[in-house]
Amino acid sequence: MAQIEQSDKGGKKKKGAQKKMQIHVDFTPMVDMNMLLITFFMLCTTMIKSQTLQISLPSNEKVEQEQQNKTKQSEAVTLILDTERDSEGNVKVDPDSGKPAHIIYYYEGKAEVADENHDGLIDNSNLKVEKFVGNENGEVQGIRKILHNRNKQVLEKIDVLKTQWKNKELTDEEYQAKAKQIRNDSTLTRPVVIIKAGPNASWESLISALDEMQINQISRYQIDNINGVDSALIFDYQAKNPRK
Amino acid sequence: MGKVKIKRKSTLIDMTAMSDVTVLLLTFFMLTSTFLQKEPVTVLTPSSVSEIKVPVTNYSTILISPEGKVFLSVAGDADSTYSTEKVRAELIRNAVSEYNKTHSNKIQLTNEQVAKFSKMNMFGVKLSYLPEFLDLPQIKQDEIISDMNNDMVGIPVDDNKDLGKPNEFQIWMRAIYNSSNPNLEQAIKSGEGIAVKADKDTPYDVVHNVLDNLQTLKMNKFSLMTALKTEND
Repeated sequence: MAQIEQSDKGGKKKKGAQKKMQIHVDFTPMVDMNMLLITFFMLCTTMIKSQTLQISLPSNEKVEQEQQNKTKQSEAVTLILDTERDSEGNVKVDPDSGKPAHIIYYYEGKAEVADENHDGLIDNSNLKVEKFVGNENGEVQGIRKILHNRNKQVLEKIDVLKTQWKNKELTDEEYQAKAKQIRNDSTLTRPVVIIKAGPNASWESLISALDEMQINQISRYQIDNINGVDSALIFDYQAKNPRK
Repeated sequence: MGKVKIKRKSTLIDMTAMSDVTVLLLTFFMLTSTFLQKEPVTVLTPSSVSEIKVPVTNYSTILISPEGKVFLSVAGDADSTYSTEKVRAELIRNAVSEYNKTHSNKIQLTNEQVAKFSKMNMFGVKLSYLPEFLDLPQIKQDEIISDMNNDMVGIPVDDNKDLGKPNEFQIWMRAIYNSSNPNLEQAIKSGEGIAVKADKDTPYDVVHNVLDNLQTLKMNKFSLMTALKTEND
């Protein structure tokens, strides 16, 4: 391991001259061991910490009809989430985008169910279908576009704030406080989004829906259970538009 | 004849600098690392734009496997008065006494079993099976708990609105809340104390069952664990 090298240059030695010694310590095994330890720590650590999304649900207690807050019809948007699955329950993949095939049925205002000619099909169903697309070429797409348009007044005001914040005219706290104030400003037209998920809808689709609320700065949304009218609408939609 | 002298050159490379670097790296990893927690199933969480981080202390995780099995884990305070192990020991005592109140087949745990439980990161077997499970060696335990077809694995979460006769999940969650750690209690109240972790492909009705149970327990605020993504995805 450690070597002591004697240098005897010049042949003749003077008497009484000190011997020059060079000490070499071989660090190779030490480096080997360190590398092993580093590998161990690298494999055993988690660098990325999970993020969380905070939500609060209403309590399960029965609420009196009069005490319930009724949403204004003009403000309500109902999203019903569903995910296409194959016969084994695995999530299908959308062939166009390569993303999981989540479907969002939505209607604005109240669900319209009227069967005037009694043929078992719903006339004038206001149910429409969208997908989670995100942004494309900097433009909002899919369900985000619909929610974006519904919450335009809030988003425009927040955009102004954002540019101020980016130009360092506002501190982080000021920006957050002001943004919150705008989100909850009742003088602006803001939608109330009701998110419902079908039994097959994947967890990812629900999170994506909650995510859209954050992205579109929607302050009023809730998660609700699917009801008979919603299922009837979806059945009707699927009957009219069979999947290829 | 004159000999041709070949000068021997030493092939030694000075490893000191290399060693310095590796030791530095090692120190960095040792100081920043938090070890991966062992979980019965690996779940891929969906991603969201939310940037709130998971707390390090005082929270409990509800892990939901795609099959609908539920597992729980608890992290205590950094302060040793309410350390994770103490919280877990308190938690299991609470849960067992609560269980014995409503069931005729009583469970008795030895101190040894409680000590073993307090070392476990994530738990999720039926309470009636717990004493037997705790007596098994570690390897056997890991094998059993990762078997999703085993009936004994997973905390039972059936639909139950009557808190006078709580199901096992409700017993556990209440025990966590009452585990005599005021900081955890505060965190659960504010919604940071409970994190729901489910796979992205899990059907909603499976998760809904758990959320519904939490609502019944009046734990209406909680957080959902997600990975990070950008707005454009």
